[in-house]
Amino acid sequence: MSGDLVYLDYAASTPVDERVSVLMTEVMTREFANPSSTHAAGRAATARIEAAAEQLAGLLNTAPSKLVWTSGATESDNLAIMGAARFRANKGRHVISMRTEHKAVTDALDALVKQGFDVTWVEPAANGVLALPTLEAAIRDDTQLVSIMHVNNETGAIQDIASIGEMCRKRDILFHVDAAQSVGKLPIDLGSLPVDLMSMTAHKVYGPKGVGALYIDEKPGCHVTPMLFGGGQQRRLRPGTMPAPLIAAFGLAAEIAEGRMADDYAHLEGLRNRLWNGIRNIAGVSQNGDPDNTFPGILNVSIEGIEGESLLLALEPICVATGSACNSQSQEPSYVLRALGRSDALAQSAIRFSFGRPSSDEDIDFAICRYTEAANRLRRLAPGAAA
Amino acid sequence: MSSDPYSPLVRSLFSTAEHSGDLPGATCASADTQGVNVQLAASVEGDKITALRWKAWGCPHLLAATEAFCAEYEGGTASNLLEFSAGDLMKKLAVPVTKTGRILVLEDVVRSLGQAIRDEST
Repeated sequence: MSGDLVYLDYAASTPVDERVSVLMTEVMTREFANPSSTHAAGRAATARIEAAAEQLAGLLNTAPSKLVWTSGATESDNLAIMGAARFRANKGRHVISMRTEHKAVTDALDALVKQGFDVTWVEPAANGVLALPTLEAAIRDDTQLVSIMHVNNETGAIQDIASIGEMCRKRDILFHVDAAQSVGKLPIDLGSLPVDLMSMTAHKVYGPKGVGALYIDEKPGCHVTPMLFGGGQQRRLRPGTMPAPLIAAFGLAAEIAEGRMADDYAHLEGLRNRLWNGIRNIAGVSQNGDPDNTFPGILNVSIEGIEGESLLLALEPICVATGSACNSQSQEPSYVLRALGRSDALAQSAIRFSFGRPSSDEDIDFAICRYTEAANRLRRLAPGAAA
Repeated sequence: MSSDPYSPLVRSLFSTAEHSGDLPGATCASADTQGVNVQLAASVEGDKITALRWKAWGCPHLLAATEAFCAEYEGGTASNLLEFSAGDLMKKLAVPVTKTGRILVLEDVVRSLGQAIRDEST
């Protein structure tokens, strides 16, 4: 990161932990053999993968055998949704998801619709949280899959995945959770949570880009039809040479996250509160999402009378997001915030600040100062403002 | 960075905004459409525009284009404004084609301002 930049976009990506980087380089350069090879070097690479599975499984309190390595959360979401829907298609072709899901989920579901599946989009309440009666009302006799994210990538809203999972389990409906924003950050106990499929990625938790995982519960009726073909790796669910360096790195990142989760949470909470307290009194500022039920690593704020793209430029050198990073090439108002009932103007003015381990009080104080200045300046430039 | 959506000129104009503000008692024109709001004010002596000021709500390209217009046309005439075309400004600032509509709003306001100056002088 350039020394001039103040990075507050950790929900988009995190830096690789130094220890993770060292391990990854070591495996890349010294234990580079193909894990599918049966010779000693191949077995060494396999051992790295098995160790990583133990580490990630430890973080999630599950069995390593329930984890499938992927290229990231987008692939995990696609494999879970497309794979589970196709696997259960003979029982029914109805899927339920939420309007505020990540594009990796919504676009996968749109693709399913083109293949003859039926998707019901349930709306969250204004605080971003899905009410259980809303979900219950959408369930049909032919519903086979429900896909609801754990922590929203734009607002940080936390869904009650335990209660949603219970509702699904009672009806023999598979439940998929996109946990890209929560794995390693919030406690997740897959030994007790009624979750059948869970997507995750390394680069949101101080691991490298290019590796993720899909948790698939081992129970009758819970399976995915593979999307890739070409080898017998990973029980043919996700064939292809496994990237041992990336997987080893993800494993270590997971282990580190497990060890410092409570400290990380407290750190993020302090930063979020400091920033919110510093800007909340600016006229027209409002928080998007439920302040009492939001992951503290994310603070999404709108401001009346300010144009979002100009605000983003005026905030430089602070690196923040308007929409999610995956969608920020477009300056259209966030579909997530629109789904929460925000007006186009408020949604368009939204800025997502997200914090990480390296974030400091100084970063936050700079952001408060910059945001205040930018808001004042853009208001002075706007028609209707006093000269 | 090559992926920077803003040219150095746009960044410079956006940050300086030297011509932003009001001109009390000046001739004005404005438009609030297409998701942008542009307001121009001109002080005129004889046929000469002695000062141009702007206020705008919109993206950085629009604000930069409005500033660029004021800087370039201050000292000009109403006829210059009536002949104003946004095309040259879009090229100069490397405005993305997707934002053409917004810059055309500026063009409309500039021409309206030129017409208003002419109307007031007759």
